Amino acid sequence: MKEILKIDNLTKKFGGVCAIDNFSVTLEEGTVHGLIGPNGAGKTTIFNTITGIYKPTSGIIEFMGKDITNKKPYQVAQEGIGRTFQNIRLFSQLSVLENVFIAGHLDADYDLFAAILRLSKFGKKEKYLRENCIELLKILGLYDRMNEKAGSLPYGHQRKLEIARALALRPKLLLLDEPAAGMNRDESKELVEFINELKEKFKLTILMVEHHMDVVMSICRRITVLNFGKTIAEGTPKEIQTNKLVREAYLGGEDVAC
Amino acid sequence: MFIQQLVNGVSIGGIYALMATGYALIYSLLGFSNWAHGDVAMLGAYIGFLCVATVRMPFWLSALTALLGAGVISILNERLAYRRIRRNNAPTMFLMIAAMGLSVTFQNMVIVFLGPKFRTYPPVIPVKAISLGSIKIGVLDIFSMAFVIIAMSLLELLITKTKFGLAIRAASSNMITASLMGINIDFYITLVFLLAGSFAGAGGVLLGLKYTVYPQMGNVSLKAFIASVFGGLGSVRGAIVGAFIIGIMEVFVSGFITSGLRDLFTFGLLIAILLIKPSGLFGIDIQDKA
Amino acid sequence: MSGYVEGVIILIGINIIAVLGVSILTGFTRLFSFGNAGFMAIGAYTSAILTTKFNMPFIISLLGGMFVAALISLALGKLTLGLKGDYFLITTLGFGECTRVLIEFLDPITGGARGYAGIPQKTTLFIVLISVVLAITVARNLLNSKYGRNLKAIREQEIAADAVGIDTARFKQLSFTVSAVYAGWAGALFAHYYMFITPVMFNLDKSSELTITVVIGGLGSLTGSIIATTVLTLLPEVLRSVANYRMLFYGIAVVLIITLRPNGLMGYKELSASWIKNLLLQIRRMFRCRKEVA
Repeated sequence: MKEILKIDNLTKKFGGVCAIDNFSVTLEEGTVHGLIGPNGAGKTTIFNTITGIYKPTSGIIEFMGKDITNKKPYQVAQEGIGRTFQNIRLFSQLSVLENVFIAGHLDADYDLFAAILRLSKFGKKEKYLRENCIELLKILGLYDRMNEKAGSLPYGHQRKLEIARALALRPKLLLLDEPAAGMNRDESKELVEFINELKEKFKLTILMVEHHMDVVMSICRRITVLNFGKTIAEGTPKEIQTNKLVREAYLGGEDVAC
Repeated sequence: MFIQQLVNGVSIGGIYALMATGYALIYSLLGFSNWAHGDVAMLGAYIGFLCVATVRMPFWLSALTALLGAGVISILNERLAYRRIRRNNAPTMFLMIAAMGLSVTFQNMVIVFLGPKFRTYPPVIPVKAISLGSIKIGVLDIFSMAFVIIAMSLLELLITKTKFGLAIRAASSNMITASLMGINIDFYITLVFLLAGSFAGAGGVLLGLKYTVYPQMGNVSLKAFIASVFGGLGSVRGAIVGAFIIGIMEVFVSGFITSGLRDLFTFGLLIAILLIKPSGLFGIDIQDKA
Repeated sequence: MSGYVEGVIILIGINIIAVLGVSILTGFTRLFSFGNAGFMAIGAYTSAILTTKFNMPFIISLLGGMFVAALISLALGKLTLGLKGDYFLITTLGFGECTRVLIEFLDPITGGARGYAGIPQKTTLFIVLISVVLAITVARNLLNSKYGRNLKAIREQEIAADAVGIDTARFKQLSFTVSAVYAGWAGALFAHYYMFITPVMFNLDKSSELTITVVIGGLGSLTGSIIATTVLTLLPEVLRSVANYRMLFYGIAVVLIITLRPNGLMGYKELSASWIKNLLLQIRRMFRCRKEVA
């Protein structure tokens, strides 16, 4: 198996506070890796550091053998890392199709003059991109709502659209930040199948933050447990479930919603 | 000469400081620059002028009316425009646009109803100057500096020593948490607008006394706005420091280089500071949380 | 056509070009700037100087005005576009004021505060009409391409735009420069129509007026901006008595719109055949409902 993402001793401090403390992880291609931990454990901060929103205090992030540690967010995305947001960040005034359309901008490789003069190259690329986007929306079950305003979609569909938008980038690695937030047991079961399906279809590697234990345990090959920015355990779902430290620090500490 | 210019700079800087603190207070609470703040100062100057010159009230009562009037106008801005926009969760740009609209409205209201001409306060404060050796200080400047020092000290006490100040500081660091802690946010926002408006009104009256009163005089508060940016938006102390720096620099550029390029220097320095430290001298770098 | 009507149409045309620039910047990219009057001044003075002092043909002066505006917007954007909204706004304002101060200061070249006179009248109705058609077409084509979509993405959610690989700094710069070019264009046409320009014509109030027109027309709508410009330019011409209250009316209108109906006249929508069809359908449906109730 090939390594796709390798994070080495990543540390991020805000002021004096250590939000991530020596975090290391290696993701193998085609797997789903889970990040769990209580609120404020630093999970989203890890996402934001991988995607370049925060500059790490120290440590190295390697993606497909390439150092992406100090890249800007858009560069990280262009390398092939797509993400969703915990608090949904859609282009809410725009239509569902436009949301996906925007994310596919890298496929529209015409220049400014072609766009302004409406050269035939522009038409061809736009048509091709549009077909791709519609295809993607069909796969994600959003085709019927293609022309609706993204901001007026029901909550569940907004989450799906976030995933669709990330996929339009054609990423190799997908970061999902609490994809099952606000879902009930049936819905999250459906989500697990859905994510597995996407993973196969788009040949994805997935790193996900999730609070729903049933989701994490059923979908992830490996899991990292964080507490106060520190890694307290890493292993297969079975190992995590039986890990004493985890039980004490996390599972036992509060009622887990599952 | 040098010390004379310094005195002049401190005098004008004090008036900028009165307005700059208002920008800073409102920014620290609501995270946007109240563009209409200068026009509140302008309205304050007009209220004071009308009271003194037309109604012939005593000066101290006129000034008080101007302060209160400007405070009330400031509150109305918040109540009628900004609050609605905040409730809609609209982007910050909408607040700035509303403020621009208010500014245009106020200026043109005065032009339409009171006329565009320049007016001068009657000589309520003697235009004499006191000589200290070779330095001359106007009585008006002494009066205005004394007022600024008293006002700033009271503000400092208010922010550091009272429950009101504590609440404002809590709210400006995190509004949601503060409201969860049982702080009535809207009440404090109203208070802050009253305070900022009154300070602006005072600044307006002092400017009117020193120079003239006219509909566009609020644009002077651009300097105050720059002062608050200078010091770091939202930092009250930074705004005061920034105001004095700008006041002194302007007087020196006018005196030693040329008054024609005064504003060029002010804006040039602003851009230079923002490039070196994008959040101002005393501003805190805030990272947007994704 | 009488000279008066022609003059009004020319004025509307020039205003449309200037407003379109602000529309792209503020309506589609959500960058609030007070610099556009400054770019108009740069376009006006550059072209006027090229025509009178260097005897350049009008088209060269026009392009020269746009080009210098573009260059300055590139430099200014490089310095300021990375700043947060309030800081960006104040620096653009500073730029506008500095432009005015510099023009006043460079008296021997620009005529200072007294103004620059003796510009030949080269802007004809024909040239304005061609310019407007060109300006609208370029804006529309730009906005209906990946460039325009990327700008809209920045407007809606900058962090998400970053996350889908949009180089937000680059596209903000694009928007800023296009906007400056439009302003320079309008300024150059303006100078060669009125034959006399002063720095005060391009002050802060002019920038506010442009932004106000965009807000009234509706943020994110080109057709809205065009309609608003036409109506707001015509209004004081048709109703002379309103002229004095014009700016007061603008101010009140913009406050009301942004607080009560932030979408303005046509926010985020364009006037098109399908839009009219939809409207008619809705009206018909309304009538049908009434009938059924009756």
